[in-house]
Amino acid sequence: MTDRRRINGPLGGTAPPVFVSSLTSKTTSPAKRTRAPDELRKIFLKTGLTPSASGSAYFELEPSTPTAASESLASKAPALKLTCTVHGPRPLPRSAPFSPQLLLSTRIKFAPFAARQRRGYIPNVGERDLAAHLETALRGVLIGERWPKSGIDVVITVLEGEEDNSWNKGQSGESGRTGGWGMMSILSGCITVASAAIIDAGIDCIDLVTGGVAAVVRQPTAPPQVFLDPCPSDHEEIFAACVIGYLQTRDEITELWTKRSIMASTDGNRANTMEFEPLVDQAVEAAVAARLVLIEAIKESTEVKVQTSQFGHPKNAAS
Amino acid sequence: MAAPTSLPPIAYPGLPLGPSTAYTPGPGTHLHAPSSTIHASLAGRPVLTPQKPPASNPTISIPRLLPSPARAPVPSANVGNTNTLPRVGSVVLCRVVRVRTRQVDVVMLAVGREDGDGGEDVCGDEWQAVVRKEDVRATEKEKVVCGDGFRVGDVVRGVVISLGDQSNYYLSTARNELGVIMARSEAGNAMVPISWKEFRDPITGERESRKVAKPF
Repeated sequence: MTDRRRINGPLGGTAPPVFVSSLTSKTTSPAKRTRAPDELRKIFLKTGLTPSASGSAYFELEPSTPTAASESLASKAPALKLTCTVHGPRPLPRSAPFSPQLLLSTRIKFAPFAARQRRGYIPNVGERDLAAHLETALRGVLIGERWPKSGIDVVITVLEGEEDNSWNKGQSGESGRTGGWGMMSILSGCITVASAAIIDAGIDCIDLVTGGVAAVVRQPTAPPQVFLDPCPSDHEEIFAACVIGYLQTRDEITELWTKRSIMASTDGNRANTMEFEPLVDQAVEAAVAARLVLIEAIKESTEVKVQTSQFGHPKNAAS
Repeated sequence: MAAPTSLPPIAYPGLPLGPSTAYTPGPGTHLHAPSSTIHASLAGRPVLTPQKPPASNPTISIPRLLPSPARAPVPSANVGNTNTLPRVGSVVLCRVVRVRTRQVDVVMLAVGREDGDGGEDVCGDEWQAVVRKEDVRATEKEKVVCGDGFRVGDVVRGVVISLGDQSNYYLSTARNELGVIMARSEAGNAMVPISWKEFRDPITGERESRKVAKPF
């Protein structure tokens, strides 16, 4: 008796394709950061891409080290690609208690193909953790009192996530998995893209919130230094990193997440001591730089909206 | 102090628009108290509306923009504007989904614009609301029978009187111009209003009782 409830595979079985390993055939040097310490990767940001959502945005960071096309596919440096959709303000479910202000719910999901190691569909702890961080970052900018009895859902899909290790660094257990330091850049991108999508949805905010990352990184010869927008695969070792969600107009921080101790990087040598505040300041600088991109993206889409609402939008044309 | 009207063509949230001593914050803007500056809270084109003499400061507001053009691929498409929210005092159009002895359950479909041009914004979602028995009409409230005023499927114009409880908004139809505006008879034909409490089916000639909205 065959199983009729499920879609069965072919009876004979299939032979999985075998690829020639490009890793063994070629020894590429590990990726190196070519940017200046205070230089960010180029950001692509566009709003209003998902027609079914009330607001949406797409965010992309270019690969840190652009590899030549002739090199093997496997050595492609990781990029960061995020899409965000905002649904609502929509009525709360019947079971929810009365809320005088907007309820925010955030969800971050890695696509199964986001990293080199495939992921499942069930949200894991890391994703929930990121979503909680994102929620605190966004809660501080929304003017919730203007939307009583309603809720919005912010849904982010990570299409391509960063990896801690470059693909060239061998096949040890940790490589090929997103997590750790890569999560910091992802959160920073999530904050920026969610901010763009919320504004696209026309929900009142007090300011633009953008994310920024800075990290204390080991240098081969020099003492540890703070780098803006670190790509984990570019660096040998990251001692500490900091993500913030920053409002520039008000000079306020809605989200601050640091990882590892800065003291670990000092080797007990007072001359090399890194302070916590410079690290945060550098992260703020990264957030301010991302804000420029966000403003341009918003202006671009708003101009289109203003024009269509003036000339020939169905509603205005009728009246 | 009042700076000349040099508003930016496009505002985005957080952009300072002017001092609160010279302007009044309107919709789409907010007041940052420590700096007493009016900041934008929406993306859009800020507009300045002069006030009537007692309040001399002109109002800065940012009209809410309709969704991106991608949402309206064809001009006739009726786009649900997801960022309309009924508030107390809004005139709304709704459809009756259930008639009970003490209240009528409706869903709000469109919210009237507040700028007074008579247009409505279509809601992206259906918002639950009720018309309680005592809010159906202004006089002889104790004699109201919900089943005589409304039938399932009627389109009703009402006014929001309260944000209500956890799930329902509270509406009232206790005005002449509020009540059922579209109804179908039991035969399924669209009916025409003939008095303040009756509709008539033009084909079968049968009369049905409703709380009729006075045509404008």
